[in-house]
Amino acid sequence: MTTLLSSYQPLPGTYDELLTADGPRPAFARVTDALGAMSGDDLARLQQLAELSLLQQGVTFSVYADNRGTEKIFPFCVMPRLIAAADFAHLERGLEQRLRALGAFLDDIYGEQRILAAGVIPPEMVLGAAGYQPTLRGVKPAGGVRIHIAGVDLIRDPEGTWRVLEDNLRTPSGVSYVVENRAISKRVFPRILDRARVHRVDHYPTRLAETLRAVSPRPGADTTAVVLTPGPYNSAYFEHSFLARTMGLELVSAPDLFVDGDVVYVRTTRGPRRVDVIYRRTDETFLDPEVFRPDSVLGVRGLMRAYAAGNVALANAPGNGVADDKAVYPFVPDMIKFYLGEAPLLAQVPTLVCARDDDRRYVVDHLDQLVVKAVDEAGGYGMLMGPQASAAERAEFRDRILATPRRYIAQHRVELSTCPTWIGDRKELAPRRVDLRPYVLTSPTGPWVLPGGLTRVALVDGSYVVNSSQGGGSKDTWVLKSGGAI
Amino acid sequence: MISRVADHAFWLGRYVERAESTARLLATTHNLALDAELEPAACWRPVVVVAGEEAGYAARCAGDLAAWGDGERVETFLAIDDEVPASIKRSIAAARWNARSIREVVSLDAWEALNELYLWSSGDGARADFAERRFAFYRRVRDATQLVLGLMRSTMLHDDALDFIWLGVMLERVSQTARILDVQHHAYTSISNRHEVVETSLWLSLLRSLSGFEPFMKQCQGKVDAEAVAGFLIGEVRFPRAIAFCVQAAYQRLAAIRPPTADDLPGGATLARLGALHELVQRRDRELRGPAVHELLTLVVDESHAICESLGKELFGQG
Repeated sequence: MTTLLSSYQPLPGTYDELLTADGPRPAFARVTDALGAMSGDDLARLQQLAELSLLQQGVTFSVYADNRGTEKIFPFCVMPRLIAAADFAHLERGLEQRLRALGAFLDDIYGEQRILAAGVIPPEMVLGAAGYQPTLRGVKPAGGVRIHIAGVDLIRDPEGTWRVLEDNLRTPSGVSYVVENRAISKRVFPRILDRARVHRVDHYPTRLAETLRAVSPRPGADTTAVVLTPGPYNSAYFEHSFLARTMGLELVSAPDLFVDGDVVYVRTTRGPRRVDVIYRRTDETFLDPEVFRPDSVLGVRGLMRAYAAGNVALANAPGNGVADDKAVYPFVPDMIKFYLGEAPLLAQVPTLVCARDDDRRYVVDHLDQLVVKAVDEAGGYGMLMGPQASAAERAEFRDRILATPRRYIAQHRVELSTCPTWIGDRKELAPRRVDLRPYVLTSPTGPWVLPGGLTRVALVDGSYVVNSSQGGGSKDTWVLKSGGAI
Repeated sequence: MISRVADHAFWLGRYVERAESTARLLATTHNLALDAELEPAACWRPVVVVAGEEAGYAARCAGDLAAWGDGERVETFLAIDDEVPASIKRSIAAARWNARSIREVVSLDAWEALNELYLWSSGDGARADFAERRFAFYRRVRDATQLVLGLMRSTMLHDDALDFIWLGVMLERVSQTARILDVQHHAYTSISNRHEVVETSLWLSLLRSLSGFEPFMKQCQGKVDAEAVAGFLIGEVRFPRAIAFCVQAAYQRLAAIRPPTADDLPGGATLARLGALHELVQRRDRELRGPAVHELLTLVVDESHAICESLGKELFGQG
């Protein structure tokens, strides 16, 4: 009898998360026996069950900003992505180290700027970053934390080495799918999940609420923390609502808030109530029209004055964009050495910085081999996949790079690792490329890594782009507990 | 609670109630029109008027006078038409939109029940049920809306959010009952050549549309006439779709949100106005005949409208 896994073929020259050419990886034996024993019809039925329950629960994202509110479920593949205990322990240490260094970097850049004075990073790379907010220099955030929530994107190269691709230090999204995907796995694979012994992820909201309360300028029972959303038309609205609900906090939008005497209040049916911590899921340029966009009617007038006065904590702190700028990214290993005196535990992707003359010359001569990215864009936009692009597209990027070199970096394309992924119309498993976004919460006592993460998968055959806006989906991520292999 | 959240909760309640009420009215009228010895337009025109869609329907039918007696057309218009704000389909979508906007205060059970109703009503299932199993369509709307309201009461915290939802349900029901009674009362009492049997069947149909047939019979022991029906649907505080019951329940919910003695909290003017309406509809010392019924019901409709505006100003942060 052919089972699902026995007919599965990993891609040559690529690391497969579940199998080698000789069969399943030994660390996963206790799971692959059971998963592999299923037939195509079994998995088709489970996949259908999963999609139906996501739709009925309204686990959706808004597609168009119109009144009819077109919503879609985030495409989901029931086949889980597995991570061995030892692998995750390594990631955990590496991420903690990275977040400590990035936090120190932000404190320094909005303070003394020692790292620039020491010549470790060229000042123009930092001070010229779109995310650098010179007006915030000298402002110390309430509670002393700047990166309360980070969602660091990692990929795995053909040797199986984890590499950081991007540090998302502003408003990383996706964690609600981590929790909801697990709820689906519990429904469709109860026995296999039990057998696999997987770390739980459903305590994330509780840990997040603790992280937020820990930075309140008025500690104690009276502290009010809220989640700030742009509103139900926002594509990530489900997540904003999910987090508010599971933390027991109120979900507010900007018109619900106002500032009086540098203190933030929320309008309630019992009059104004003071707000101490805002988990803001709005872009920082829409936080306060007084500071960022005088022409904007969005945002809360005076919010930044209240923040600078230390009367309200904002998570994440405004100004963090300077640390996850793609042209600052190549210097993170130097930051780790400079601030912590440690060798970096996590690798990253070698990066050419077009602002440097040598790098730029190499990039424009080798566009057909490189992936070029605009430093201030995300979501898979503003990038050139050199090997697949047309000559005209490459010529256009060449002109753009020469016009504004500071805006571009380039990397050699990494062969992202693959996972067996359910292909509904062929009723079989095929290798599809994945990344991993673990979530790191930082409170005044230090960072904590959720043992899990969002696995995004490029569902289109041959694609390297995992973003949900461009044909990506997600998988549940099972971080196995150590020991006790059966 | 946050004013905007209170506003969404209130409208969530109103739209769920409106969907149910429209389904009841259409089902009952459909039934009545099958054997009533009435001009079809006398059956169907009041339904369009009650829904507040007289102008919309007139525009849609563009001078086709026969349309006012075309039950199939009226039902389609008010049940499944995407372009009609008062249609069942749009009411369900609006209820679900309000719930989604405050998903953090609606319980998972209530949300899932409402979301399933919405997915059905916006998909092929509802269209097929409407075309082939008309009563099953209305039945499903009634059952599902009742399920949503019941789940809210049995799975949500009994605090301000539920009070605002329930306030919306009750105020919507006040104006629905008042308008149904007013429009039908007017239509029936003005029919020429009134015949006792015809008239009785009309009153019974009106009671059925408000699920009030059996409770009314228990109270009035077979004496079915205009005055008795109006007295029951206006003043019977023990019947949950009578105006007096709904106004009293609305008053209790608002008094829980904003106690009468809490002078430092906003909402005092609205509470006083709702209290005055409560006094008015409970009075027994009057005759409910002819124009007096219409005058009283007009006052009830106007007052509940004014109370909703006042809620917006005092509690929902609208100016």
